[in-house]
Amino acid sequence: MKDIAQFAATLTLVALITAGSLAWVNKITKPKIVEQQKNELTEALSSVLPDCIDGSIVPVKENDHILYYLGYRDKEQTRLIGYAFLAEGRGYSSTIRTLVGMDTSCTIYAIKILSQQETPGLGSICEEVRSGETKPWWQAQFTGKTAKGIAVDKDKGEIVSITGATITSRAITNSIAESVNRLFEQPGSNDIDK
Amino acid sequence: MSAGKEFIKGVYKENPVFRLMLGLCPTLATSSSVNNAVGMGASVIFVLVCSNFIISLINRWVHPKIRIPIFIMIIATFVTIVDLVMAGFFPALHKSLGLFIPLIVVNCIILGRAEAFASKHGSIYSILDGLGMGFGFMLAIVIIATFREILGNGTWLGLSVLGKNYQPALLMILPPGAFLMIGILIGFFNWFEHRRTISRSSQT
Repeated sequence: MKDIAQFAATLTLVALITAGSLAWVNKITKPKIVEQQKNELTEALSSVLPDCIDGSIVPVKENDHILYYLGYRDKEQTRLIGYAFLAEGRGYSSTIRTLVGMDTSCTIYAIKILSQQETPGLGSICEEVRSGETKPWWQAQFTGKTAKGIAVDKDKGEIVSITGATITSRAITNSIAESVNRLFEQPGSNDIDK
Repeated sequence: MSAGKEFIKGVYKENPVFRLMLGLCPTLATSSSVNNAVGMGASVIFVLVCSNFIISLINRWVHPKIRIPIFIMIIATFVTIVDLVMAGFFPALHKSLGLFIPLIVVNCIILGRAEAFASKHGSIYSILDGLGMGFGFMLAIVIIATFREILGNGTWLGLSVLGKNYQPALLMILPPGAFLMIGILIGFFNWFEHRRTISRSSQT
């Protein structure tokens, strides 16, 4: 009995020390990580809305939660050219977050996968860049397609699935279609051409 | 026991990958490019040296019955530190190593060295053992990644080596390539060791 109390005490002590030091490291690295994620998002936004100039992509918020982004061609924000939004879908082994940019008639400019942890070599091909190229080849096929009702070839759509990773392909594609539908239900989205 | 010997044994004589066959899972998974291999190797060196040092320090107060959970907690702490620091300062590397960083916790080299060495030796030797084993692991994974990246992608550290006309053997960067490469290299080192033993015994 005495042993158990002693073991529990040692384990608690070690757990407290390790948790304490981790809290300290977390405090130091947190602002850096947040900044990195922000940079990544800014970069992703300008890659999915290529015709927008710096500072002309404006988030539309509801209670601090970003619903979607409006993209303008000029700094004065008079000429609306498109929208960007985040689509999230459950893939094979992770939640896949994709940023989508489209023009006012729902034609996709480009998509960019922000995070995924799909099977390396199968689902992860959605982010693969072929040597000599700069952009992931699988994501390139979304450019020019209509976001509304987009679907993979197995669901009689136009998106060619990744070989051996239909679940991943379908998760991304369907999450885009669902997010577009949700976008229409948002207040203030009346100006989107239905 | 000499200090230099403790360091050098991890690099060749007791190389964790080629000789002890430890930590093969991260070796297989992250050796698809030299860049990833160096990142993984450096992370393992850091975790291994820190955990060996701390474990050799506190070992005399730890009851043998609860040593494993305590070792794991210490190892997990250092791995989380690596994970957070990498996410904050090297986001590109963090993205490509992704899932494999948290998995260093269960890398058997680290718990193996804690059990087999750090819990029985002093701090300085434990640090040297960690450094040697860590470098041995990094060397092994970089060698494997060198072959895989050159054959499978025509590049080394992202630089084109074999030129544009080279048709990459995709198999080498896919998982089977890792098994093939590890098998060939382990075979080579065994053959080399065998030759050395024969020539040594024929001299006497």
